[in-house]
Amino acid sequence: MARPRRNQSASGSNDNDGQNQTVNGNDGSNGARNSRPTRNITGPQSALTDFLASHNISARQIRDDADRRRQAVAQQNSSETNGTSNANDDPTPAPLPPARVARRQSTRDEGEQETPEKLAQKEKALAKIKASKAFKKRKKDADEESDFDDDEIARAIFNERHAPLPGQMENCEICDKRFTVTPYSVQGPNGGLLCAPCGRQIAKERQGEKPKKKAPRRQTAGIGSRRAAQSRLLDGSVGTLSLATLCVQTLAKNVELAESLGDLPEHLVDKIARIFSKRRLLSPDTLPLFLQPSTQTIHIYDGAKLGEQELISIFQIAPGLKHFKARCVVQFKDEVMDYVLSRDTSMESFYLHGANLLSEDKLHEFLRAQGSYLRNLQIYYTDKHVGDETIGVVREHCPNLKRLKIEHNQKMTDKGVKALANVTCLEHLGLHLDNSPSSPAIRKAVSGSGPNLKTLSLSIVPNADDSVLDAIHMTCRSLSKLRITESHLMTDDGFAALFTGWQNPPLTFIDLEKCRYVSAMQPRQNDDLVGLCSNGFKALMAHSGPRLRYLNVHACRNISREAFEEVFDGDSTYPELRRLKISFCEEVTDYLLSCIVRSCPNIKEVNVFGCMKVRDVRVPRGIILVGVPNAQGMITEGKH
Amino acid sequence: MASGEPSKYVTLVSGDGFEFVVLREATKVSPIISGMIDPRSGFAEARDARCVFQEISSPVLDKVVEYFHYWYQYRDNDDVPDMDIPVEICLELLAAADYLGLDQATMNTRQWS
Repeated sequence: MARPRRNQSASGSNDNDGQNQTVNGNDGSNGARNSRPTRNITGPQSALTDFLASHNISARQIRDDADRRRQAVAQQNSSETNGTSNANDDPTPAPLPPARVARRQSTRDEGEQETPEKLAQKEKALAKIKASKAFKKRKKDADEESDFDDDEIARAIFNERHAPLPGQMENCEICDKRFTVTPYSVQGPNGGLLCAPCGRQIAKERQGEKPKKKAPRRQTAGIGSRRAAQSRLLDGSVGTLSLATLCVQTLAKNVELAESLGDLPEHLVDKIARIFSKRRLLSPDTLPLFLQPSTQTIHIYDGAKLGEQELISIFQIAPGLKHFKARCVVQFKDEVMDYVLSRDTSMESFYLHGANLLSEDKLHEFLRAQGSYLRNLQIYYTDKHVGDETIGVVREHCPNLKRLKIEHNQKMTDKGVKALANVTCLEHLGLHLDNSPSSPAIRKAVSGSGPNLKTLSLSIVPNADDSVLDAIHMTCRSLSKLRITESHLMTDDGFAALFTGWQNPPLTFIDLEKCRYVSAMQPRQNDDLVGLCSNGFKALMAHSGPRLRYLNVHACRNISREAFEEVFDGDSTYPELRRLKISFCEEVTDYLLSCIVRSCPNIKEVNVFGCMKVRDVRVPRGIILVGVPNAQGMITEGKH
Repeated sequence: MASGEPSKYVTLVSGDGFEFVVLREATKVSPIISGMIDPRSGFAEARDARCVFQEISSPVLDKVVEYFHYWYQYRDNDDVPDMDIPVEICLELLAAADYLGLDQATMNTRQWS
């Protein structure tokens, strides 16, 4: 026996089974206490164990002795009756004392002399094991790998079954140190258990030999994968990404390794710039990737990390800059503009987003100095800095201006909108003003440059009414993109009149988001047909359907099912329609979606947020249906 | 694809002379290659089912071919693991991908009833 024995006070007092179990649970701690001073954290122990421990009596010792006595008796019996109680065929070792005794016996026997009886007994056990299922299975596995002897296999199984349970003490097979058996204890070469350090070493060696199991399945789905999948869906990418996208993503992951982008085509550089900004990678360190002396176009989608000096460096490095676009550039201040003014630049596009520290005077100075080159001027989020006077300056100094967008602006009023009528060279006009413009002001602005206008975007114009639609109908002749959102006054008749007999060619882009009737008193009744309703929708599709690529009727909730079904009846097709947003249109059903798929051969994306009648629709592969109101999301069907 | 097409495979040759034999279906992801080997085009490439890319080196073309099969394997799946791109050839591969027209977000063609 290798166990240190201090107390000889073996007593039969712990015959009680429950007591026995508790004592058993504390084996490890007691053993550890014997060998080293540190205490293990253990579970609750019985009062008796505590008491005995305080008197330096090991409960474990007592039980071990008792076990041994019992086992001696059992052995005597079995050798007399030739019983085979030890060679229990039960695949899981029973946690009963006799079984445990036998187990301990057997492991001890490994190193000791085996008596003839024991050997006979063991032979029997092995013979039984050889007949068992587990043996056959093991043998089959072994035969595939190498030729093991039957006896060896049987012995291995025998040893395995009789290994100590977790929590018990055991001597390491290699270094002979005592250790506590855990569920993770590794089996040694001779079937015994190993202590943690030896076990690690053996495990390492074995891993080097050959992988025990197959490599774990590559994880395609995991934590957050559903969310990631939905996010990709919203980004419009389903299935395999394009190789270019994969490359750009890899590049973004290893941005610190890149020195220069070389001479990639402009659209790829733009793609890289977009992904960089999406991941917030555009910093003073990465900005030089996009800057070369020959650079003519720079698009900064997120310049929040760029300081004044970096913004100045853009104009230093690239004197020939023609198209400047910078979003979220808070640091674009007067000093930067001073530098720009000191250079002989001739920018055609100037796009500034979020530069609310730039003073209005400096902007006017810029427009006076270099406005004659400008073709596109886009100013977003400037707080109170761009107002009615700016329009006057633009009119005077920007004779070539084609595109003017002023959005999220808190300063401009009706006066400025009216002044737009004098800027007759405009082809693209976009307004999104916090002081929502009145109908007369919009009418005036539209009438000024109306015949040339290709784009008219009026975001959030709750005060605009049918007279605006009428003005558009009367003056616009070359419009291709129209946006009027959140008008609460325009009516179905107004929309129908706009699209009926309009001498403008079919539009390609229409956005009438939230042109609807809103009432808290009678939400379901819309007697005056406010907003875009059935007739307006039918007239719209009849006019622009053949060329329409993008249609947004988000939350135009009074369009009836009949109108939808009439428009998408399968006979009339809309070959150009790519994206359709019909979220919060109440009457959209599964059937209607199948009609849409039939009528629009090139449709790519349909948004159906809040269309609660969409239930169980199967989407043909290649179409993205966003916002299906169930947990499962889009179900794709079919193959290529 | 015409029904009488003899070979299911096409050969892509890199600038340094390595040849890659690829399933014809898998190259459909590239509009450039499928245009070159379309039998109706009558190009020499279509006759021999062999395309030579002088500007593309073998490591890059190897990766492109890997992408073809990656795309072919997962073309009907929605949940797809991303392919690994070696960082060293990332930019060259990007240029090659652009040249071969592999930059559309989804190149899925579809059929419906």
